[in-house]
Amino acid sequence: MARQSYQDKLTEVREDVLYMSEVVMERLRMGLDALEQKDDELAREVIEGDGEINRMYLDLEQDCIDLLALQQPVASDLRFIAASFKIITDLERIADLATNLGEYTLDAERDLFPDVDVQEMGDLTLDMLEDAMIAYDTENTDSCRELAARDDELDQFAERASEIVVRDLIERELESADEVEQILQDVSRLLLTIRDLERVGDHTVNIAARTLYMVENDDELIY
Amino acid sequence: MTHDSMTDSDSGTDTQATDGGRESLASNDLEGSDPTTEPLVDSSIDVDGRSDAPASADRTVIESNDLDVYYDDVQALQSIDIEIPAEKVTAIIGPSGCGKSTFLRCINRMNDLVDAARIDGELLFEGKNVYDDDVDPVVLRRKIGMVFQAPNPFPKSIYDNVAYGLEVQGIEGDYDEIVEEALRRAALWDEVKDQLDSSGLDLSGGQQQRLCIARAIAPDPDVILMDEPASALDPVATSKIEDLIEDLAEEYTVIIVTHNMQQAARISDKTAVFLTGGELVEFDDTNKIFENPEHDRVEDYITGKFG
Repeated sequence: MARQSYQDKLTEVREDVLYMSEVVMERLRMGLDALEQKDDELAREVIEGDGEINRMYLDLEQDCIDLLALQQPVASDLRFIAASFKIITDLERIADLATNLGEYTLDAERDLFPDVDVQEMGDLTLDMLEDAMIAYDTENTDSCRELAARDDELDQFAERASEIVVRDLIERELESADEVEQILQDVSRLLLTIRDLERVGDHTVNIAARTLYMVENDDELIY
Repeated sequence: MTHDSMTDSDSGTDTQATDGGRESLASNDLEGSDPTTEPLVDSSIDVDGRSDAPASADRTVIESNDLDVYYDDVQALQSIDIEIPAEKVTAIIGPSGCGKSTFLRCINRMNDLVDAARIDGELLFEGKNVYDDDVDPVVLRRKIGMVFQAPNPFPKSIYDNVAYGLEVQGIEGDYDEIVEEALRRAALWDEVKDQLDSSGLDLSGGQQQRLCIARAIAPDPDVILMDEPASALDPVATSKIEDLIEDLAEEYTVIIVTHNMQQAARISDKTAVFLTGGELVEFDDTNKIFENPEHDRVEDYITGKFG
């Protein structure tokens, strides 16, 4: 095959994107675990690890820019680089959301809403993200389309969870101003957690959308 | 060389003609017949209808049907079917030996100059087969000018380089005006207006190529064929030629053969990909070819996986 070093660089970008996604998934898992177990040490690890992901992101961005500038990729190579360039942005955002989970862990002192299963929602988003990255790796377009449907389910999950929290807040009979202040913080933190996980799902669909474009030149899922 | 012998010869409008020996080519007062109005064919095909034709987006100006070209026993082109739109830039790309230059040279019958070349099928210019017996290749080449890889100005003044083609083709008019207009269209006027009497050979390579383009457009052709027009130029001169090609496409149909795929991507509206064996594998909008080609062989070629 001609242009061997160019082909090697394309392979390198693919491997680096997949590696970055593994680290991001690990951080998301850690964020969820920290939240569940109220593990402040784990939470700090997630927060402090964000710099590493930002560096990976910037390095990969530079690799893509170099390939565009120096190799003038076209056709499927061009779509691969364009898609990867967008996907790393989504991965970086997901890592930011994982650090949010770390922050919430440090802030939270108690779990007031046992009816809201944050862990189940977290598992759903992690599964989706893992499948999106497998689709990117294996160029599985069916899986890309399925992910868009799974995100609709995740959105409904988030909506139901938010409703439980807000309804509970309305029905709760609060005595003191201190109690009001505390519950407000707990509620907003939980609503933010739900929203952040829902955002992970959106970024995951973006990854699927860019993968579909990469493989089939189809912008159906890009919105 | 006299005017008449030039007309009868097989030289193109922009071939490396020898010095015609005229002292002044600026004269409007040409001797001999007046071939200005000579039609491409004796019948009344309206080959000059470009200015009157509606500027519809995809009017076909050049069309080939089942075009085969052989050099002796070697087939250089295999049943090429293509419709090239008017007033657009069409790029022809492909590996060495794929027949892209052969195809370009079929359009204005430059292959007539190659004894071993044999052509089957049709090549239509404005609906008329250019290989019909009643087509005069010299008149054809006034309608379809050509620019070559290496700049090849005549060893004459800048002015005469542009005027020479007008004179040998017996084109009438105010030569000063036509020469200035051609040099302006070729984006060279401002650089040479004060030195029209100096030799074309004293110009830089990029300027020489623009001079050749001015020479090609002076007779006001419909189509300009370019065979690797920037491959001998540095990046700055190449950019100027590329800008010029885009401008030319507002008035002319430009067909360019290039080895430089990025150049094709930058400047062309349509791209034709010829592959080994003289086959036209894909012809489509340039962005389609470079973003999502239909054929795997084209994908492999443009991404550099072979060739």
